Amino acid sequence: MQPNGPLIEIRNLTVEYWQGDRWNPVIEGLHLHINPAETLGLVGESGCGKSTTANALMGYRPRGARYRSGQVLFAGQDLLRLSNRALQHIRGRQISLVPQNPTTALSPGIHVGDQIVETLMVHRYSATVREARERALDLLVRVGLPNPPIIYKRYPHQLSGGQQQRVIIAMALACDPQLIVLDEPTTGLDVTTQAQILDLLMDLQASYGLAMLYVTHNLGVVAQICTRIGVMYAGQLVEVAPRQTIFKQPLHPYTQGLIASVPRITAPKQVRSLLLKGLLKRSDLPPGCPFAPRCDFARERCLVEKQHLTEVGESHAVACWRWQEIPSFAQRIAETQSAVFQKCETVGCKAGEILLKVDNLCAAYTFDHPRPFARPLPRLIVDGVSFEIQPGETFALVGESGSGKSTIARALNGFIPYVTGELRFDGKYDLTIPVDKRTRDLLRELQLVFQNPDASLNPRQRISQIIGRPLQVFFGLSGAALRRRVEALLEDVRLDRSYYDRYPDELSGGERQRVAIARALAAEPKLMLCDEVLSALDVSVQANIIELLADLQAKRNIAYLFISHDLAVVRSLAHRVGVLYWGCLCEVGTTEEVFTPPFHPYTYLLLSAVPEADPDQVMPEARKDIGLVVSEEKPACPFALRCPWKDPMHCNDEPPPWQTLSRTHMLRCHIPIEELRQHDIWADRFGRV
Amino acid sequence: MTDLVIARKSVALTGLSRGLGRIRHLPWTLVLGSVLLTIYLLVAITGPLWAPYPYDRVGTGKPFAAPNPKNLLGTDQMGRDLFSRVVHGASHELFMALTSTAIAVILGGFLGLLSGFIGGWLDVLIMRLFEILISIPVLVFALLVIMAVGLEASGNELLLIGVVALVYLPRTGRMARSVAIDLVTRDYVMVARARGESAWSIVWRELLPNATGVLLVEFGVRAGYAPILIGSLGFLGLGVRPPTPEWGLMISENRANLVAAPYTVLAPALALSGLVISLNMFTDGLARVLGRQVKRV
Repeated sequence: MQPNGPLIEIRNLTVEYWQGDRWNPVIEGLHLHINPAETLGLVGESGCGKSTTANALMGYRPRGARYRSGQVLFAGQDLLRLSNRALQHIRGRQISLVPQNPTTALSPGIHVGDQIVETLMVHRYSATVREARERALDLLVRVGLPNPPIIYKRYPHQLSGGQQQRVIIAMALACDPQLIVLDEPTTGLDVTTQAQILDLLMDLQASYGLAMLYVTHNLGVVAQICTRIGVMYAGQLVEVAPRQTIFKQPLHPYTQGLIASVPRITAPKQVRSLLLKGLLKRSDLPPGCPFAPRCDFARERCLVEKQHLTEVGESHAVACWRWQEIPSFAQRIAETQSAVFQKCETVGCKAGEILLKVDNLCAAYTFDHPRPFARPLPRLIVDGVSFEIQPGETFALVGESGSGKSTIARALNGFIPYVTGELRFDGKYDLTIPVDKRTRDLLRELQLVFQNPDASLNPRQRISQIIGRPLQVFFGLSGAALRRRVEALLEDVRLDRSYYDRYPDELSGGERQRVAIARALAAEPKLMLCDEVLSALDVSVQANIIELLADLQAKRNIAYLFISHDLAVVRSLAHRVGVLYWGCLCEVGTTEEVFTPPFHPYTYLLLSAVPEADPDQVMPEARKDIGLVVSEEKPACPFALRCPWKDPMHCNDEPPPWQTLSRTHMLRCHIPIEELRQHDIWADRFGRV
Repeated sequence: MTDLVIARKSVALTGLSRGLGRIRHLPWTLVLGSVLLTIYLLVAITGPLWAPYPYDRVGTGKPFAAPNPKNLLGTDQMGRDLFSRVVHGASHELFMALTSTAIAVILGGFLGLLSGFIGGWLDVLIMRLFEILISIPVLVFALLVIMAVGLEASGNELLLIGVVALVYLPRTGRMARSVAIDLVTRDYVMVARARGESAWSIVWRELLPNATGVLLVEFGVRAGYAPILIGSLGFLGLGVRPPTPEWGLMISENRANLVAAPYTVLAPALALSGLVISLNMFTDGLARVLGRQVKRV
């Protein structure tokens, strides 16, 4: 331990929430400490009590919660016993918070600079307003915002998400706190923006020696910025270790499963048998280890005996009495490496067979009216995109938010008012016609699944109605035949038959997504449009759904158009990938081709921004990236405004040519292939450790 | 979080003890409101059976008698028993308020949902029409309708129901439409459109089940105001005809005697305000329970 002891310490904390009729423990007997100048990562799946822990560190008691036992010791005081008045002097002054959603954390009607000044004045950090203003400007520089006097006078809605989060960080830093609590600070942001914020946090930590608690579900992020990592499960800390140890030699079976579940951009293989089985059911946890019902190594004793964190190595503690008997992580991986899931490699051989052909697709929601009575001009969101999908293959579209990925899916479904180009589906259908004018067969063969199952399942319909409706509409099934078919579909997506009569809100997020998939399957489609279907799910659930999608594809020969911003998921699932920037494709190829050099500069940029759950990899700092720019004038190459290697001679003015590397691989750039080949992201990621 | 488990499962559960246990978690306004409403309903249904006198029997006591054991709430100028008249009036009041509001909510809800879902010129047409109707002050509008039908029909209860329904229809319609334009952006509506469902089917299957909460609350609030509107029309002499024991009419008939015999006005006025208050409490509580449910979803 540190000679001076920890900065803040949680002792035996138990937090309970009122659940209608009784108090339910959300955190039980938690011990945790944070040393000065250390970044502690707290990871776990949704509902494991991470955010509740973060609240406790701020001495904050949410509505409906109570602290049944425990202490949070900070500078000799127990924060849970302090009055609100006393806490006010600590919060924001000595411990500050960076919340998940910067948009709701900033007050919309006040200049962002004045909001920082307010923090400084409330805590009497600055003696005068003039001094506070100067410090605010200084802080804006330090969090890397360009042109502070202008940013100071901006309102929150005039800033991008990344800029807003920087302002929040500036506010958190304002009074030189000793500890910053970051609660999922980059979760709503694009990978590229997230990478910048992580860079900033690492810089700040290095230069100020701050202690940080970083709460997240993203293992990649903690692998990049944390010194020590704690893994939480069902309100208990199951393992704490330095980051090298936790990723290389995790001891707790839950940690092992969690780390194995994370899709990697470097190793696209998933270790199937290591995946976490089942679900966390908080309603019936055994009195002993909460993970025991899902654990492969559980014994009788696990179910009845409480597990406590015990030191097993240098600052490595695990809450499992069998840690010495469980095979090591490396051993478990090696044993099961052969059982990785297979992408069907047959695709690409059946040349000539094309399910969907998209040629020069342009799509717009709105029109500009340059002059009265002049012909209105469509404001193009998708600008000349061409690709093909073969039967039974997975084609992924990747790009940042705002790049037009979802618009393409909507255009294919006929929901967009302005669509031009040639869209041919299954040889005989024209997809430029709007959805109301399509034939029943066409509607049936093209199904869609959305990101958020909360919004895509009608909360007032039973599962049987949700899955049964397409069967009624397309196949005219009813009565016992309908019921049999729905039950068969539930089985196909590995849900129990007992779900038949339930409502969506009785299901977990992953189960709801399975229902959404079952509803699409019910129509027996040839092509499924999957719009960010995994983004709202926890990693272990994600891994299971990826597996499910791959299995269904192998069995039924369905093609997927898979839209995602998550490159790791794309690498483990897709056969071919298209990289989309500002409504234009900039690279198309098989997954292996796109993920190996030469890279399009934008592909390189995206790949460099992914935090990998591997502490040996770094995110190359090669980018002085400014994020997605949408200016009035689109340059000839849409990426020219951000390109790190652009040639000002012609990138702005001449449309870049498609350069063909193989029968399947094309990229659209002025820079010669030989030059692009020199930028190898993998060398850069592993290079400077 | 899983701390929101109660509502729908609870509906399916049965058993008196469980039901009683759950009442503790319901808003007190809902409990009290339902109890009062039940009393009103019981009086409305069974009242004519046990009321001491027929509502039009004159000379049950001295005119303007104060409350006494024979006439519990006293008598009016013709010596009619006020208690009996108030009890008989309950069925008129409840019947007119509930049917008129139900018609308005069902028709308005349907038109509003359809208008919000289909959009375009149909939406513009229906909404502008509703707005024109709403822009006319309520009483003036009611008078216009009665005039248009003909004064001779003005005592008819069915006409009154129609008037109240017509006053409320555009208002509930706009409410339903605002719910619909929020719901149509949901992914499940998009999925239904991509399945080729008809507008009718989408409104019925996808929108209506999600709008019922709002429409129920709308029904309760409107039903709470309906007796006031009917009473006002009665007061103006355009409601039901004497000697019908309609509370608004009774207030109007006796207003000249307010100082001399306050009971003649107070009895129907208290009955009317009690009904309005209990309907309002009921809906307030209902809105809270449904709001809780909606938040869960």
